Amino acid sequence: MSTTTLVDIISNSSDKSPHKAAFRFEQEAISYRELEVKTTQLAKYLGSVGVQKGDRVGIFMNRCLESVIAVYGIMKAGAAYVPLDANAPHARTVFLLNDANIKIVVGTETFSKKLQKLLEAQSPLERLIGVQLKVTYQTTPWEEIYQVEIKGFKPILIAEEDVAYIMYTSGSTGLPKGIVHSHKSGLTYAGLSAQLFKVSPEDRVGNHAPLHFDISTFGYFTAPLAGATTIIIPEAHTKLPVSMLALMEKEKLSIWYSVPLALIQLHLCGLISEYNLTSLRCVLFGGENFTLKYLRALMQEWPHAKFYNIYGPAEVNQCTHYLIDELPPLDKPVPIGKVWGANEYKILNENDQELRGIGQVGELVVKTDTMMIGYWNNPELTKKSFYLENTSSNKTKKYFRTGDLVKRNLTNDLVFVGRNDRQVKFRGYRVELDEIETVLERHNLIKKAAVCLVNSSPSDTVIFAGIQLEKTTMISPNALKLYCKLHLPPYMVPQKIEIMKEFPKTSSGKIDLLAFKNKIKAI
Amino acid sequence: MNEILITYICEDLLNNELESGLSPQDDLLGSGILDSLGMMKLILFIEQKYNITVPPQDMIIENFMTVSHITNYLTNKEQS
Repeated sequence: MSTTTLVDIISNSSDKSPHKAAFRFEQEAISYRELEVKTTQLAKYLGSVGVQKGDRVGIFMNRCLESVIAVYGIMKAGAAYVPLDANAPHARTVFLLNDANIKIVVGTETFSKKLQKLLEAQSPLERLIGVQLKVTYQTTPWEEIYQVEIKGFKPILIAEEDVAYIMYTSGSTGLPKGIVHSHKSGLTYAGLSAQLFKVSPEDRVGNHAPLHFDISTFGYFTAPLAGATTIIIPEAHTKLPVSMLALMEKEKLSIWYSVPLALIQLHLCGLISEYNLTSLRCVLFGGENFTLKYLRALMQEWPHAKFYNIYGPAEVNQCTHYLIDELPPLDKPVPIGKVWGANEYKILNENDQELRGIGQVGELVVKTDTMMIGYWNNPELTKKSFYLENTSSNKTKKYFRTGDLVKRNLTNDLVFVGRNDRQVKFRGYRVELDEIETVLERHNLIKKAAVCLVNSSPSDTVIFAGIQLEKTTMISPNALKLYCKLHLPPYMVPQKIEIMKEFPKTSSGKIDLLAFKNKIKAI
Repeated sequence: MNEILITYICEDLLNNELESGLSPQDDLLGSGILDSLGMMKLILFIEQKYNITVPPQDMIIENFMTVSHITNYLTNKEQS
């Protein structure tokens, strides 16, 4: 059978190797056949409670075997899955439930208290799956799902253009924005990445990223497409590098994909050489720059592994890769490499004119089948994010504007230079500094907020917020931190908040960010 | 000992709102109460407060999953 939607991935692998472990988590494993059955059970149940093609269903849990069943079960029901970050503050999740009009959330008992609170909030949410609560709302535990009779399940006809999942990310307007991917964009990514990294049924892929992070799709889509086994890393292991190393050795991982921070922590714990990780053949990292001294150290510790720098905003999944085949020099950034597959790209100046010269810096725009449909419920932002090129044959080519400034080097590899806006990467997370400012400025005592990243030490960066209060008001930085924790995910809460009389201004009256940063350093 | 750790976690490290107070049996790692940097800070705090060294091979889930795991670990360490 051909694979035309993400749902086909599991069905086909189940036909080919029914008894092979598709996913592993702690002491448990689920085979492709079991996964096929359990996702059908969930899909049938979702259909029986009114889920229709095109609906959105939320997933609220730590990664585990149920998260795979939820991802594929929801898509099998014809709906799109929306990962909800269980560590995000309540108010932010309620916003997502409303924005995506989510009536059903699939979860686990771990977060039953948080889920109950969500049910009671003002939102379309009316039903929980995966938990049992003594409340007036509808809740259905997993045991009940696993008893659903799959006979008579009528597969939902899904087209490749149909929405498969929506991932929310930081938005500069102060509200998160949903990146909408189709079965086609997700499946194209899975196919290209399986091919590029030669993923085979023998591979054991480590899934470190949570579901709301786009790089999770490698473990969830690519590995099962290739018939490999994905090892889902439990949340606890991500916080204790020594336990993580022990797990990597025990599970004989062959492919690893994470943000650099997770790898740096493995190196810094000091015990990396105690663990036999010779099975590791590919180390993929992306999301932000890898501090070169640590990258070099890790490459020396694992000389048998190939290291790849992966680049691509969540809107296009992956788009470039660079194989680091020798120890990178300390004084030059590692390139993001070449655009993959049959995809096209251009480097544009601020007037959308193409730059072709070596070393010329401009915005990277990409045309690829791994590209999102658009931003959820936001046609204006969607329109702004695409660059349309009229070709001679009277056709229009659609490119995604990455907002990333790049240049070509002498080997025609792309090198990341910076951003053309105020988006930053902080500890692997994508953060719009404007969102933090907007959230702070919603506080009724705050007149103006200015947020930036500053170096707190040679090796550490923090989010700094300078605050101007309304006249004759008082509030402590700690109280403001608490306020931020209620409205922003943990990684976006400023580490340092400083009440300031005024901000340095440019001649045009805007905040002079350079002078602002210098002032902070002096504090 | 439990009290000191709970106070420090609640006042300095807490990642997000808790529905009710922190109990010694609450899973610090799996529930998102701490992130990986918070965990490192907690270990540093313990080292300074109790004037001990936590060697890297002890920084494992079995010793740090809950406040009660941590106090058990510290008590055993004291005795040995």
